Amino acid sequence: MNFFERLQELDRRWIYLIVALAIIIPLVVPFNSKTYTTEPTEKMYQLIDSYSGRSDRAVLISFLHDASVMPELYPMEIAILRHCFERKIKVFTITFTASGAPIIDLALNRVKEEYPEIKSGVDYCNFGFKPIILPIVLGMGENIATAIDTDAEGRKIATLPIMKDITNYNEMNLVVETSGSAAGGYWITYARVKFGVNVAIGVTAVMAADEFPYLQSGQLTGMLTGLKGAAEYEKLVDVFAAYRDDSHPHGRPFSSEILREKDTDKLVNITTQDNAVFTTQEYQNFLNKYPTAAAILDKIKKVKDGSVMIKVTDLTQDQKDQLGNDAWTALKYQTHNIIYKFKTARIGMNAQSIAHIMIIVFIVIGNIGYFINRKKQNLAK
Amino acid sequence: MKRQIPLAIVIVLGFVFVFYTFVPHKILADDVFNWYMNWSYSMAPFGMLLGVISLVMMHSVKISRKLPKWQFSFVTLGGLLITSIAGFVWGIQPGTPFMWIFENMQMPMSSTMFSLLAFYIASAAYKAFRARSPEATVLLVSAIVVMLAQVPIGIMISKHLPDVSQWILNVPNLAAKRGILLGVGLGSVATSLKILLGIERSYLGGGD
Repeated sequence: MNFFERLQELDRRWIYLIVALAIIIPLVVPFNSKTYTTEPTEKMYQLIDSYSGRSDRAVLISFLHDASVMPELYPMEIAILRHCFERKIKVFTITFTASGAPIIDLALNRVKEEYPEIKSGVDYCNFGFKPIILPIVLGMGENIATAIDTDAEGRKIATLPIMKDITNYNEMNLVVETSGSAAGGYWITYARVKFGVNVAIGVTAVMAADEFPYLQSGQLTGMLTGLKGAAEYEKLVDVFAAYRDDSHPHGRPFSSEILREKDTDKLVNITTQDNAVFTTQEYQNFLNKYPTAAAILDKIKKVKDGSVMIKVTDLTQDQKDQLGNDAWTALKYQTHNIIYKFKTARIGMNAQSIAHIMIIVFIVIGNIGYFINRKKQNLAK
Repeated sequence: MKRQIPLAIVIVLGFVFVFYTFVPHKILADDVFNWYMNWSYSMAPFGMLLGVISLVMMHSVKISRKLPKWQFSFVTLGGLLITSIAGFVWGIQPGTPFMWIFENMQMPMSSTMFSLLAFYIASAAYKAFRARSPEATVLLVSAIVVMLAQVPIGIMISKHLPDVSQWILNVPNLAAKRGILLGVGLGSVATSLKILLGIERSYLGGGD
């Protein structure tokens, strides 16, 4: 048996082992790779962002999946919720599968941990699990409070502060459905046709091809495709919604130009960032805003290439206490360090990149072996 | 009567819903719809109950007759019982036993099952994905382009790769998908009409 014949007969357990290593190593050792955003993701982000600060606009996220597809869909849900919380956008959540209810709780609580000022019933509301889909989808077109009646905590929807200025799809103008199968079907067929609500979806990568007809026809406003879509959305949130500087204290609006800037990549590094980097002017503005910080920061600052750098890990607990919570938070923002739960899709994309390459290499090697063997067999004949 | 009553319910309610969708009259939009809403709410728990009874009966029979792999039925029934008790007694909020079961058992088990796909795909790609014919070659090349464009390395290889991938998805893929969708849509309309008019009765069971 020659080399190529042996290659053809390779035990599949070796393949499993190589795939396992190709996935595990990038997850354990994260590295920075570029994430390019696509139009369907950008459109969805822009529409959600346009609701920023408006009391008469809201987003509904429908969690139509169970735990099996969470690795792809959960990071999308986290990223969208984070976007809404960062930009003060009213957000509702709902599920029509019993196993979706704990996923909503998990997602809301994970994101809420970082936003203590965000309150249930005021900034967001979880409608919870509803066992039947069609009456709810149609009913919300007339009146959300009537169709849903009570939220997951048993409170009357109509009495909640979040419902001020929100009646039906005229205000809750975007539905985002995350699903591992046919996402958005009911919303497109009934809610969009009858009430004109915008529909966007987040689907697993294998299902994305099925959704292109709806995307091209404009029935879908946007689409997040698998882990890549989640990674793109994470990036947009980091570059715009979670960005802070003197002129953008609550995030900045979407801009294609900013996405193309070279420096933008520095905002989305997934490796740990512990240097707060300022221009001289930015540093001066920071000290003007937090005068007590000067005594502490001037001691540990380093100036390099015209930039002022402060390694936040050099600060002791006493120094952090002296800085105060606001200054400390502003300083941490300047590092552009992204906490783990807000970059899981991008970490996963590294593993996916290696796995894709691995599969392509397998296909190529398999085909080389196949053609060489075929040629030999033809010659033997 | 066993057949006529269900048939009448389906035909009458089916047409009511058709009228609700296409006729924007107040009676249909408000009164009929609210009536339908209340009915549909009350149906859901019965559906759930039916599911639980069916599951318990199926696995009980499996255990009592010691059918192949009957031992696993204990795990299924035990899972159903324990999760239900945890949910009913302590609720489903974060920090409760129900949520612990979900986070530490259901989530990793479900994800593991789904992730097996990656191993099977890799193995199948190596063992079976061959350019045996021109059609298979087109499929193979398309798959490689789309897979590469899906990850950051694709654009590092060529900045045109995402455009080529997008073209594959937007043109040939879309044409095929739309064709299938139209076929399915027309088939659904035909089947729905047959049900509404009482021609198609196989859903009632039996050989009618």
